[in-house]
Amino acid sequence: MATEAAPMDEKAKRMRDLLSSFYTPDPSISTPTSSISTSFDNINGPSFDADQYMDLMIKKSNLDVLLQRHVQMAAEIKNLDTDLQMLVYENYNKFISATDTIKRMKSNIFGMEGNMDQLLHKIMSVQSRSDGVNTSLFEKREHIEKLHRTRNLLRKVQQFIYDLPARLQKCIKSEAYGDAVRFYTGAMPILKVYGDTSFKDCRRASEEAIETIIKNLQTKLFSDSESIQARAEAAVLLKQLDVPVDSLKDKLLEKLEQSLDGLQINPDEASKLAEHNVSSKDEESNNQGPAKIHEDAVRGFSEAMRAYREIFPDSEERLFKLARALTTTHFENMELYIRKRVSAADFLGIFRIIWEDVVLMDEVLPEAALSDLSAEAAQVTLKQFVARTFSHLQQDISDTLLKFDINQKEVVDGEVLKVVLEASGKAEFRQLLDENTGIFVKMNDLLIGWIQKGFQDFFSEKIHAGLILVLAQLSVVIEQKVIPRIAEEITASFSGGNSQAFIPGELCRVFHAASEKLLQHYIDTRTQKISNVLRKRFKTPNWVKHKEPREVHMYVDMLLQQLEEVGKEVKQILPQGTFRKHKRSDSNGSNTTTSSRSTTLHSDKMARSNSQRARSQLFETHLAKLFKQKVEIFTKVEFTQESVVTTTVKLCLKSLQEYVRLQTFNRSGFQQIQLDIQFLKAPLKETVEDEAAIDFLLDEVIVAASERCLDVTPLEPPILDKLIQAKLAKSKEHNNNNNKTTVSS
Amino acid sequence: AQARMQGGSSGIGYGLKYQARCISDVKADTDYTSFLAGTLSLKEENEVHLLRLSSGGSELICEGLFSHPNEIWDLASCPFDQRIFSTVFSTGESFGAAIWQIPELYGQLNSPQLERVASLDAHVGKINCVLWWPSGRCDKLISMDEQNIFLWSLDCSNKSAEVLSKDSAGMLHSLSGGAWDPHDVNAVAATGESSVQFWDLRTMKYGISVDLLCSQKVNSIERAHVRGVDYNPKREHILITAEDESGIHVWDLRKAKAPVQELPGHTHWTWAVKCNPEYDGLILSAGTDSAVNLWYASASSTNNKAPESPVESTRERVNLLLNSYTDYEDSVYGLAWSSREPWVFASLSYDGRVVIESVKPFLPRL
Repeated sequence: MATEAAPMDEKAKRMRDLLSSFYTPDPSISTPTSSISTSFDNINGPSFDADQYMDLMIKKSNLDVLLQRHVQMAAEIKNLDTDLQMLVYENYNKFISATDTIKRMKSNIFGMEGNMDQLLHKIMSVQSRSDGVNTSLFEKREHIEKLHRTRNLLRKVQQFIYDLPARLQKCIKSEAYGDAVRFYTGAMPILKVYGDTSFKDCRRASEEAIETIIKNLQTKLFSDSESIQARAEAAVLLKQLDVPVDSLKDKLLEKLEQSLDGLQINPDEASKLAEHNVSSKDEESNNQGPAKIHEDAVRGFSEAMRAYREIFPDSEERLFKLARALTTTHFENMELYIRKRVSAADFLGIFRIIWEDVVLMDEVLPEAALSDLSAEAAQVTLKQFVARTFSHLQQDISDTLLKFDINQKEVVDGEVLKVVLEASGKAEFRQLLDENTGIFVKMNDLLIGWIQKGFQDFFSEKIHAGLILVLAQLSVVIEQKVIPRIAEEITASFSGGNSQAFIPGELCRVFHAASEKLLQHYIDTRTQKISNVLRKRFKTPNWVKHKEPREVHMYVDMLLQQLEEVGKEVKQILPQGTFRKHKRSDSNGSNTTTSSRSTTLHSDKMARSNSQRARSQLFETHLAKLFKQKVEIFTKVEFTQESVVTTTVKLCLKSLQEYVRLQTFNRSGFQQIQLDIQFLKAPLKETVEDEAAIDFLLDEVIVAASERCLDVTPLEPPILDKLIQAKLAKSKEHNNNNNKTTVSS
Repeated sequence: AQARMQGGSSGIGYGLKYQARCISDVKADTDYTSFLAGTLSLKEENEVHLLRLSSGGSELICEGLFSHPNEIWDLASCPFDQRIFSTVFSTGESFGAAIWQIPELYGQLNSPQLERVASLDAHVGKINCVLWWPSGRCDKLISMDEQNIFLWSLDCSNKSAEVLSKDSAGMLHSLSGGAWDPHDVNAVAATGESSVQFWDLRTMKYGISVDLLCSQKVNSIERAHVRGVDYNPKREHILITAEDESGIHVWDLRKAKAPVQELPGHTHWTWAVKCNPEYDGLILSAGTDSAVNLWYASASSTNNKAPESPVESTRERVNLLLNSYTDYEDSVYGLAWSSREPWVFASLSYDGRVVIESVKPFLPRL
């Protein structure tokens, strides 16, 4: 059709446009905007309004133009008519040809199906034939392949068997018995079945070789020079060769049992062992110490056990028994050992050895629960040791005390304490606590419990004030130094978090509380003693009928002596409070002013009490108290010499005041108190750092006495001074003769 | 009325004119919470103050002020008649004890005089205390001096007192005070220097003498001095003692070898201890360290075994002290629970200040 349209180009083009416009959907939808924009005179637009166009045309144009337009339009209409006709024709033409094509196709397709079926059938028959060929050949092929493999294998076996005697000989030469046995056991089944055939010679040669091997192995097994491991290997090989080993096993285990004796720690030699153990830890060169030997022996033993366990799985029970027996004898010997007096270091040395032994064995026989067994045993032993140490400590102390009683005059009380402090476990328990072997971690709590209990039992049996102080200090040492150290070591060695058993904070708290309690106890015991002196002093005389004071009463000496004792004990055991001391020397000036102030206050009070207006006096005392800085009498005790002495003195002066308040005095009674207190002032201030508090408390005693006095007339200062000087002179003289006479206590 | 509120502290204070040691709960007064306090002045005219806690509990009102011939060393209100009380007094040289009655018309008189019901004048030495049986009406009285113990029969209507029996504690013992068992009208505990003796009033012999302190200390020199003793009104056989240096001990008299419990007591001497009349285990102690301590010695821990671990026991100990009242200027000698409002107590320090406190805020959840 395109060729037909070529000469009439214009027309064909138009035709195609029209056709395409006919087949495309409504152009008003496809191009709506363009049609709207066109004006009224676009006759092809969809919004063309014929009437409007007419109106416009008639109004705008004259007749000529209209006529012209008419002619033009008539031509256009005619043109359009022809176009329409053409279109209809073309359409019809195409339809006809399409119908023809479809008719032709229909006739061609008919008959093709039959051919296709034929083809499929043929292909199927080809495939089934090929399968048949395959299956019929498969069996034979498989068989051929199998035969081929067998042949190869047989060739190898033949080679192996023929080579066996030579190979075995080679192994014997190089002592590679393991390989030999492996080869022989491998060849064994073949030799058994085909031994009578062509392999006869081979078999005989191999058997001969194996005989030699067995002989060699047996000698190896029983020779002591061989390592246990080597012997164990030999045993394994023998077993593989079906040589009966049960008798061998019994023999070997017996031997192992015998070797136990050598492993025991002889109680008599234990200390040597321990010493060497300690020293060999210090100096690594010292390798040949008995401890090392022991360790090697035990290592050998455990290796043997490991080997036997592998060889004779059925012997486990017996091995367990052996290991347990060794552990038990270890602890039994330990108990024997500590029956004698043993230092903590030695004890720990042995303990460490045993523990190492146990660890070694435990590695081999974890099921034997050796660590549990030994933990139990160790607990018992340790408990005994702690108990023994305490009894020894007690013995020491009573020994020294006994000595002290005999040489009472020469030995200063404090020296005993020093001895005690050194001997008293300070070192020992610290070492015990220092120990960080696994077992101790487990038992630390228990241990501390025992030690505490020990201390408590100790208390109830022997009361010695100084000792209490030592214990107090010991607790502080434990709290401040020992526990952090243990904690450090534990965290260092068990970073994994195994340290729940050991809670340093809690233990510190326990020891802290214990130390405070002990210190308090010391002060209590001391003040109680002084209270007894004071009570006797105040209960004995009839204060209402007291005679004029002639001298300072001798209870003052006893009081000062007691305080001196406290001072001595404290100085040797407790540290100095450096800070306070320093401050004191610094502020010397201000101190004297405070003390002078309080003395003036005191004399004021005296003047007032002279006036005998008791009612107003009470009021004034209260007023004075209000204005005077409230002196802290009962401050917390610290672990320093000064603090303990100060506290003791304060408590004693308070007791003095309380005793005074319970009495009623006549004039002379009051004067006696006044004199005694005046005398005490100087020496007390010397011993105590808190002078203001001492002044205050001494004043309080005087005030209390004046309140309880029926007729308050203080001694005149000159008389007071004279009596004090007399006393001082007397005590000086007394001190000069001190070597012979001591104040009776 | 001279009541005043204390700034800062919860207590209600009241000032006596002079120094004082004794305060007693007026148990027979069921309408009001009231206390009797007596002064201790050697030279001035001493007084007995009848104090009443206002119904709101915010004020302490002086209901009566009576002059008393001598300084008062001991004062105890009669448990069944609120107008009767006993005192032990001293002139400085001699001691005396008497039963007094508050005059009926005291409200109208300017300076009412106490009526002396009876004088307990059989004593020679220093009298320590007069005891009333705490649990009810009983016409008997006990008085103690340092050597002797007297049992009196009191007849208030005839204003007379007769000695029923008397015995001596022996020269070696110096009695210092005592307590009458509220569970047994025939049992009296008397404190010596370092022991407590138990007397049977029927035979007037002391059967058991428990050497309390010797049993715990070996060394006989270092004995503490027993200052106060009190029976537990809620549980039979339980006794508490206050000792100079060694604090407070709780004893079970059936097994008196060792105390069942120890409380640390005070920084200086523990002077007085009182069991609460209603709440078992609540103990009050007064000390010369100018403090009153409130303790809780629970029944479970009184029955206690040895503390299981040292850690536990310290923790327990800390909890025992419920509160320490420290707002005092001087040693506290006088201490009394109110039996009408058992959570209230009165304390009296040497400077004559009465302080009433409530323990309610410190009580553990029982």
